[in-house]
Amino acid sequence: MSSLQTMSVNHHLTDETIQEYSAGALSVPMETLIACHLTVCAHCRARVERADQIGGFMISASDGVEVSASAADLLQRAKAAGSESSTRSTGPRGDSGNLISGVPRPLGRLLPKPINQLAWKRIAPGIKQFNLDVDTNRKGAFKLLHLTPGATLSDHSHEDRELTYVVRGSYHDEIGHFKTGDIADLDGHHSHKPVIDSKEPCIALIATHSPVRYSGILSRLMQPFVGI
Amino acid sequence: MTKTDKPPTAGGRSKAAIDPAAATLRKTMGDALVAIGRDRDEHAFALIYNYYAGRIKSFLMGKGMNEDTADELTQEIMLTVWRRAESYDPKKAAASTWLFTIARNRRIDYLRGNSRIEVELDDELLDIRTTESDTQARFVAQEQVADDIDAALAVLPAEQRQVMHLSYFRGMSHGAIANWLDLPIGTVKSRIRLAMQSVKSNLKGEDDVLERDDYLDSE
Ligand SMILES: [Zn+2]
Repeated sequence: MSSLQTMSVNHHLTDETIQEYSAGALSVPMETLIACHLTVCAHCRARVERADQIGGFMISASDGVEVSASAADLLQRAKAAGSESSTRSTGPRGDSGNLISGVPRPLGRLLPKPINQLAWKRIAPGIKQFNLDVDTNRKGAFKLLHLTPGATLSDHSHEDRELTYVVRGSYHDEIGHFKTGDIADLDGHHSHKPVIDSKEPCIALIATHSPVRYSGILSRLMQPFVGI
Repeated sequence: MTKTDKPPTAGGRSKAAIDPAAATLRKTMGDALVAIGRDRDEHAFALIYNYYAGRIKSFLMGKGMNEDTADELTQEIMLTVWRRAESYDPKKAAASTWLFTIARNRRIDYLRGNSRIEVELDDELLDIRTTESDTQARFVAQEQVADDIDAALAVLPAEQRQVMHLSYFRGMSHGAIANWLDLPIGTVKSRIRLAMQSVKSNLKGEDDVLERDDYLDSE
C-alpha cells in the first residue's frame, strides 16, 4: 500500500468523453470535473495519454502548410531573446499542498473556503447548492451540491452530457453505487433518480452541457433553481 | 519560405502490420527532442521544425484561426519546444504526443482566453499507481503501444477516421460534428467509441502494466 490513500474508484469516464477532453473540445466546467477524476484515477489518466497519442498521430499524418520563418530564423530569435523567458515557472502554478484538504486541486482552486464554510444556498429539502459558474450565458450548469443523507433527487434526464464527480459521501441510482472519487458520465439516454446513502452529507460536483428535463410538474418548477 | 519535409524513411525496426516509416519517424523525432534538451542541438531542432511547424500551423488553422495568427503561434510553439525540450521524457510519450499537447493547449489558451484544466501532478490526492511504475518496463511498453496505435489508426474505416479528424484537428465537439455531417449525435459518438476501442484492443502491453500495478497496490 502506498503512503498516500488510494481511493477505490469503480466508475470511470467513457471513451467518448476521454476523446473529447483530449481533443480540447470541452468547456471549462467539464474539464474541471474530468481533471478531478483524473487526479484520483491513474487508469483514466493512462486512457487520456493514449487519446493524446492519437492526437499526435493525427498531426503527424496530416499535410503541413508553408510557414513564414525557417528553423534558423527562429533560433536566431531565441538567442536574441536570451534566457529572459526560459526562466518562467514550469511547476503547476507554483504552490504546494492542496488548497482544501480532501478536494482535488482543479476544484479546490474554485472554492473560496473549505466545503463546510461555503455560502450554501438551500434549494429543496435536503439539497443545498453552491454555484461555480461565473459565465451566466452558459446554457449548462456547473455547481457543487450538498445532499443530506436520505435525500432523493427528482427523476431527470439530459439532452447531452451530464458529469457528476463525487467529492464526499455516496449515492446510488439505477446505474450503480457511486462513492468518493467516482464519476458518473451520462448522456441523454439516461434518466436517473439518485438517492444519498452515505452517513455523512454527499458533496457532488455537477456539470451539464444543456438544461435538464424533469419528469414531474413540481420538479419542473424547481428546475431553474436546481439546474441538474 | 520553408516547405515542410516528407517523413524520413531510413531503415529501422519493422514488424508485421506496422508501418516502418511511421516507426522510424517516431524514433527520429524522439531522439531529436532528447538531443535538443540535452545538447541544445540545432540540427535536431531543424529536423523537428521542418517536419512539424507546417503541420502545427495547419492544426491551428483547423479551428478557424486566421493564417497570420496561426503562423505567429506556430513560431511561439516551436520556441517553446526549443526551450522546454529538457522536460520531454521519451519513456512517457512519443514526440508527436508531446507536440500535440503543447499545440492543443496553446490553441485553447488563445481561442478561449483561459488555460485547459488539467491534473496537477503535485496534488496530494494524486493516484500514483502508474506514474511510480518501473520506468524501463514502461518505456518498452510505450514503444510497443505507439507501434500498435499507429497500426490500428492506419487501418481505421474512413467514417471513423473522418470523425476523429474533425474532433482532433478542427477541435469540434461531437455535437458540432453531428450538425456538420448531418448525422444523429448517437452515430457520431458510436463512431468515436469504435475508433477508441480499435486502438485499445491492440494495447495488451499497457493493460498488463496497469494490472500489475493494481496487484502491487493491493498488497
Ligand atoms: Zn477513472
